[in-house]
Amino acid sequence: MRKFVLLLLLVISPLNAEIYNIDQLDLKGQAGKVVYLDFWASWCKPCRESFPWMNGLLTRYPADKFTVITINLDAETEEMHRFLEKIGADFDIYHDPSGAIAEQFELEGMPTSYLIDANGKVVRKHIGFYTSKVGEYEREIEELL
Amino acid sequence: MTIRYQWLLLASVLALGGCSSLGVQPWERNILARDDMLMDADALDLAFDEHIYFSKEASSGGQGFAGGGCGCN
Amino acid sequence: MQLKGKKITGLLSVATCSLLCTPVQADEGEWDIDAAVLYYAEDDGRVEAIEPVISAKKDLGDEESVSMKLVIDSLTGSSPNGAVPSTQVQTFIKPSGDSTYQVAPNETPLDPSFKDTRVAYSMNWEKPYDRNNRRNYGFNISKEYDFTSISANALWQHDANKKNTTYSYGFNLEFDEIEPVGDVPDPLTSMYDQMKGDSSDTRNVIDLLFGVTQVIDRTSLFQVNLTLSESDGYMTDPYKIVSVVDDVSGEPVDQLYENRPDSRSRQGLYGKYRKTLANDDIFTASYRYMTDDWGVDSNTFDFTYRFKFSNGYYLQPRLRLYDQTAADFYAYFLLDGDPVPNEVSADYRLGEMDTTTVGIKFGREVDRQHSWSVRLEQYEQTGESSPSEAVGQLRNQDLYPDVTATIVQFSYAFIF
Repeated sequence: MRKFVLLLLLVISPLNAEIYNIDQLDLKGQAGKVVYLDFWASWCKPCRESFPWMNGLLTRYPADKFTVITINLDAETEEMHRFLEKIGADFDIYHDPSGAIAEQFELEGMPTSYLIDANGKVVRKHIGFYTSKVGEYEREIEELL
Repeated sequence: MTIRYQWLLLASVLALGGCSSLGVQPWERNILARDDMLMDADALDLAFDEHIYFSKEASSGGQGFAGGGCGCN
Repeated sequence: MQLKGKKITGLLSVATCSLLCTPVQADEGEWDIDAAVLYYAEDDGRVEAIEPVISAKKDLGDEESVSMKLVIDSLTGSSPNGAVPSTQVQTFIKPSGDSTYQVAPNETPLDPSFKDTRVAYSMNWEKPYDRNNRRNYGFNISKEYDFTSISANALWQHDANKKNTTYSYGFNLEFDEIEPVGDVPDPLTSMYDQMKGDSSDTRNVIDLLFGVTQVIDRTSLFQVNLTLSESDGYMTDPYKIVSVVDDVSGEPVDQLYENRPDSRSRQGLYGKYRKTLANDDIFTASYRYMTDDWGVDSNTFDFTYRFKFSNGYYLQPRLRLYDQTAADFYAYFLLDGDPVPNEVSADYRLGEMDTTTVGIKFGREVDRQHSWSVRLEQYEQTGESSPSEAVGQLRNQDLYPDVTATIVQFSYAFIF
């Protein structure tokens, strides 16, 4: 019954993008595009505040040159779905409940975002999301485009 | 009096040192981030209590700092 | 001054996270409102109080916030004046000096002129310095007809070890003015002589706090705090007296205004542990040791266990155990003919006591926007009713009556 409800939630949730398993993440396949890679979790308050801005990025910058990819670190899948129900996401989400990828990246804080240029090189790292720094974040993206 | 101060000192030293081996990764704080797991959860209760006990007893204060939580930003 | 005392001052307010710290956390631009009312009633016609509180915290974005709190405290009832019971009717002079009250034989003398309203307001501002450092500044003011208190506090918090460890450094400065009804009595003079001095007196308090909060694992954390407090100035209770009794009959022959030292130096060590269990229930245990140069040593144990149910409901029993030693200058009474000590008080709050609080809290975290709770507690305080030093009729009196009080609290929090 729970699985059915979850499935239903997936279908009717305000998501314009997919939720994938972390194994399906292929950053190399994004070569040629600037990637904004964000690590988040449902229990992270600044993450809640960053979502509307990240959705906005997708409308502002051309889809063939820029994309937003996020990695969700919720240990409880249900909590991730409940969060996405309330706060929609237009970007792809890769679920990493064990935190293996986060460990590979040696994440120091939540949320963390990486700006990757079109050649696949990590150009910037930001720990934390601050609405006062949004202008700075956008300038960094525009520099790469 | 001497014994009490030694104990205080010891406790402070313990508190200061050797804490780096404990802890979790930044993405493992889902339970710690819960409202009722915050060290200052139910702050209004704590404030009421402090007022009552300050008025009825001879000791007051010394309790409750913030800390823990989601550790975000 | 029962149940008056100082409002939740400085560092305590800061310590409880910018005064408010409602469970639900507001997003940027939102207000976190917390409203509650406390009802406190002691048995035997003693103190009764009702205390509504409202606090509001605004999230200014990027971890910055400002909060305000208003407390109104309304007290009625009567409170022991420090004198011993007698086999005869006793007459005492009210603090105002213009009338008297009588106490029946074999009853603990209670001063019935006890109606007071206190208003307290506090503000707090928290702003990060950088990712791992936060500053918190607060200000408090409290006013009742015979007591005014203002204080300012500052707190610095530093995170280390990927925020698994938080160090807190704080200080608080408080200034109090006491304007007793009927003026400040000359210490250790007879109440019946009504020798009064100035209309007011003052004191100040400096507190220092050092704390460490440490995450242990995914489900638990602990905290250790060290506090140092220095008070200087008028520490006496202007309304409290000490009985001088006949060394044979034990009957009171005089009542002297009490006198406390003009300074107090206190140290405290506090530890708290909180854990989420496998079934999601939460266990919390804390211990506080306090000691000072008045000779009061105390231990406080506090335990809660939160049973969590579906849909955000919870039930939380609570047990608090407290004990303290008497102040060096505490005395049940003085013997007629003995030299009067420089400092003496018969205020039961400075005596040796054990207290127990048993309570239960029931509430619901409805969603991120709303939560409510009801708390019901019973407080009991006991001490030595028949001290060995009792003489004459005092041997048949209860010189430290038990105090029993009921506490009821309703709380509601919401975000808008």
